[in-house]
Amino acid sequence: MRSILLGIVTFLVIVPDLAGQEWIVPDDKKGKLSTFQFDENTKKSGEKIYSVNCISCHGTPGKGNFLKLVPPPGDPATDKIQLNRDGELFYKVINGRGQMPSFKNALSSDEIWHVISFVRSFNSSYKQLIMPVITSSAYPGAVIKMMLSYNSSDSTIVLEADAVKQNSSVAVTGAEVKLLVHRTFGHLQIDDIKTTDINGKVAFKVPANLPGDTLGNIQVSARFINEDTFGSVSKDTILTAALITLPVSLVAERAMWNNVRKAPVWVILTYSLGLLTALGFIGLVLMKIRDIFIIGESVLKDSEKINIT
Amino acid sequence: MTTSHSGSTRYRERVDSVSKDILRNVRFNQGFILWMGFLTAVLAVCLFAYTIQLRKGLGVTGLRDITSWGMYIANFVFFVATSLVGMLISSVLGLIGFKWVKPIARIAEIIAVAFASIAGLIIISDMGRPDRLPNVFIYGRVQSPILWDVTVVTTYFLVSLMLWFIPMIPDLAIAKTRLNGRPAFLVKAYELLSINWVGHKKQVKTLNEAGRILLILIVPLAFAIHTVTSWLFAVTPRAGWDSSIFGPYFISGAFVSGTSAVIIAMFFYRKSYKLEKYLTDFHFEKIGRVLALVSIVYIYFNINEFLVPGYKLKTLDEIHLKELLAGEYAPLFWGVQLLGLLIPVILLLFKQFRKPLPMVVIASFVLAASWLKRYIIVVPPQAHPFLPVQNVPVEWIVYTPTLIEIAISVAPLVLALMIITILSKLFPVLPIHELAEEETLAVDGHETDLAHIDETAVYNEEKKANNN
Amino acid sequence: MSEKKKKENPEDSKIDEILESSRRDFLKMVGIVGAASVAGGAAIYSGYRHEKAKSSGETIKVLTEDNRLVEIPKDQVKDYKPDLKVLQTRGRLGIKGKKWVMVIDLSKCRNARKCVAACQGAHHLRPYEYHINTLVMQESKNTPAYYMPKTCQHCDNPPCVSVCPVDATFKRQDGIVLIDNERCIGCRFCMAACPYSARMFHWQEPLDAEADKGKEYDVELNVPQKKGTISKCLFSADRVREETLPYCVSACPNGVFYFGDENENAVTNGTTKETVMLSELLEKNAGYRILDELGTKPRVYYLPPKNRIFDFKQGPATEYKETT
Repeated sequence: MRSILLGIVTFLVIVPDLAGQEWIVPDDKKGKLSTFQFDENTKKSGEKIYSVNCISCHGTPGKGNFLKLVPPPGDPATDKIQLNRDGELFYKVINGRGQMPSFKNALSSDEIWHVISFVRSFNSSYKQLIMPVITSSAYPGAVIKMMLSYNSSDSTIVLEADAVKQNSSVAVTGAEVKLLVHRTFGHLQIDDIKTTDINGKVAFKVPANLPGDTLGNIQVSARFINEDTFGSVSKDTILTAALITLPVSLVAERAMWNNVRKAPVWVILTYSLGLLTALGFIGLVLMKIRDIFIIGESVLKDSEKINIT
Repeated sequence: MTTSHSGSTRYRERVDSVSKDILRNVRFNQGFILWMGFLTAVLAVCLFAYTIQLRKGLGVTGLRDITSWGMYIANFVFFVATSLVGMLISSVLGLIGFKWVKPIARIAEIIAVAFASIAGLIIISDMGRPDRLPNVFIYGRVQSPILWDVTVVTTYFLVSLMLWFIPMIPDLAIAKTRLNGRPAFLVKAYELLSINWVGHKKQVKTLNEAGRILLILIVPLAFAIHTVTSWLFAVTPRAGWDSSIFGPYFISGAFVSGTSAVIIAMFFYRKSYKLEKYLTDFHFEKIGRVLALVSIVYIYFNINEFLVPGYKLKTLDEIHLKELLAGEYAPLFWGVQLLGLLIPVILLLFKQFRKPLPMVVIASFVLAASWLKRYIIVVPPQAHPFLPVQNVPVEWIVYTPTLIEIAISVAPLVLALMIITILSKLFPVLPIHELAEEETLAVDGHETDLAHIDETAVYNEEKKANNN
Repeated sequence: MSEKKKKENPEDSKIDEILESSRRDFLKMVGIVGAASVAGGAAIYSGYRHEKAKSSGETIKVLTEDNRLVEIPKDQVKDYKPDLKVLQTRGRLGIKGKKWVMVIDLSKCRNARKCVAACQGAHHLRPYEYHINTLVMQESKNTPAYYMPKTCQHCDNPPCVSVCPVDATFKRQDGIVLIDNERCIGCRFCMAACPYSARMFHWQEPLDAEADKGKEYDVELNVPQKKGTISKCLFSADRVREETLPYCVSACPNGVFYFGDENENAVTNGTTKETVMLSELLEKNAGYRILDELGTKPRVYYLPPKNRIFDFKQGPATEYKETT
């Protein structure tokens, strides 16, 4: 939180500089490529992500209706964006700058590539280059595997990373890892970014007030920070590591504001008894009017008899 | 037997003379037709205004999101308030045993019936979707004061109607043989409505029982109807409405407006129906005292309502009070409080002002002020909500009623006048039987005598006389 | 038993046979349906697994009958357009197990009013008709002015819902207070009762009344809007059903809004998409609720305008301006 605030404050101070400044992407990041082919599906998925995450500043591609900010965000359909290489776009989305937020925690790598796929659909001359699956440069030829488990004694989630090559396996040491928990609208980072120890292990402290589902389950996901070194490896799993949460409906109790079936008993009673009493008395009066009518009828009959005689 | 017979003869004579005076007005004369024609023309204009509102929406009024309740609701509160007088006169004063309310009670009930029946219509004119009125009965939420209001206004109307009708049954029986030259349908209606009344002892007893039940029943109902109306405001947290004395404040105010309406009606009937013999200076003197009394009670509640928040000056209360006492609404507020409440009370303390003419002037001021008072209660508290009003067109901030809105607001008054006119042109406005009974008693001086009057005999004698 | 009957009367046995065969047919049919439903379920499940394994597949989110939201590949489902009854039923029920909550960080708001525009666009409102409005606030002369986006507070003790005579405005199990403009009678009692002035009324024909004609009414979007009825902020109930952040939240360029599920103790920032713990966010920034003393128990929290990242420029805005 605070760092973001500071970041934005710093940004405001250096606005004039930024405006004229080229957004330099480190050379080693420029060449990064998607590992899969962009197609209609990736484009559609990207469009959806774009419409939720990017459209508020960048506007609809091709329309030029982006926000008037300094520096201007730019229309993704124009050269300003399209002249970037795929790796540059990826870097900018991941890291952000100034008012452009970092989507590091918000979007997965694949999702960012989907957005790039969508953006590239506005460039007819674009030819996609595909990179083979990123493999670890630190452990060449090995497949890196992550294991996640919950240690209830000190309420930590323990990650163990191993590089498996043929039959042998070595612990992945010194790798920076982050642990995310799935929430409705995004991923919540648990603890800090941590580095695997000599055994390839790292423990993340689970906050005491982290709610899980009705069984205390949470969906967690671990990722390496440095994908170029350790490969694009992530591990999704469900762990019983959080508080058991039994959701209570907010409309369960009887209340003045609830619907009529859940009205407070005293209101129902007062209203119906009051109404019934009033109606009862009105009925009684009507009966009496009827009595007057009947009495009159019999009297009149008698008097007619008298008249005849 | 002899005394009772002489009593009954005297009663008959009295009935003859009283009914002659009172039934004189049961006719459709030219004045009636002109007056109704005028009212119909005005109503047509009002209804035309309403069709515009139906077509274009409530935007044709001065109402907007900030002040979303205006003239219509003020009008509604005024009508409910005025209808409350039926309960005050016939029930409270009648049950205490004041004999002088007898000739006034029916006038009060006519006002109650007319105003209570129209009150519901006003709410419909304020609804954005009047076509969905049935939803109130289909989906009604028992927690909503609106549902309570609908319920009690309907019940109160019914009971008021019965309180007007039931004491009139003997009159209808008396009148049905004395309606020579009136349209046949009217005679037939009297015949039907008098439900075989022959003045039999048992009938008298049953009628008195029914009347007594209603007189008692209407007290809690009347309190309920206006307390619930006050809760439409008091259940909200707005400054100026958020008051725990709103119920009694409204009820005491209702007595003021209702009593003044009755005084105006009395004056009118006395003059135009030539009833000086029955609505005497004595009656005006008495009802003048009542108006003074209820106004003093209302002043007391006013002091409570403004002094207590004025002492504490909570932020929004302060803004609200300043607006009322020294701001935009100050002329209206002081006009209402001085000309419509304080000065009338002072004047009414002097005997010479408790005469018909000065009283009708005073009552007119009080009644007009009562309407404006409802406007002050409803409108200003909405102008200052808890959070500032911003980024809206300027005409949204200040509420000014439009012509269409005013026209639609006139309609209920026209309708009420029509109902009052019809009721007092078709039926006796004063209780013939009770007045005759009272005068007989005054002469004979023995209450027991009257209990033995065999009205069946009276009736039969009349019938014989007619046959011959 | 049936053997006996056969002997007794040939016609009876015939009837028995017909009954028997129809019973068999029925069982068969049930079997097919059962198998189909199992297969369908399996397909949905495998689709779900497939989708999880390979995120490049085109997917669609589907609400199951037990009110769960599942994601399945698009080719596995037929298009289904919910009718009014479904929209009303699910709209009134709300989403099980959720307690939506919003946090508004006043230190970041600089009155861009993008939230207002996005909301008005989604709900077909005029520029001066608000579900959300940004206000210039100043408590007293010597305290600083600041901007405050104001939505419906979706109170847990909503005074507006209490007074509604027809259950047209209601609270759902997930905390959202909605208005059903198919039922609203336009009495405006709720407007009188709401201390936050959160409600608006259609005094005239709504903006897109013509264009929206014939559209199925979605109570979670309150579109088509209707003349003579109330409208109000809906916490974008249609979007949160799809697990997408509300219109205003995702439109903000300044990171003012957080939105999430109190049951998950997490809120996500609409601009940065950063997800943080709700309890921690409120605790570290001294979060509060407006007019809490009225006992309304709002579901919207505010973070005080402390350490603001911009200079407050504009004087109090009281009038609507076409240009904003």
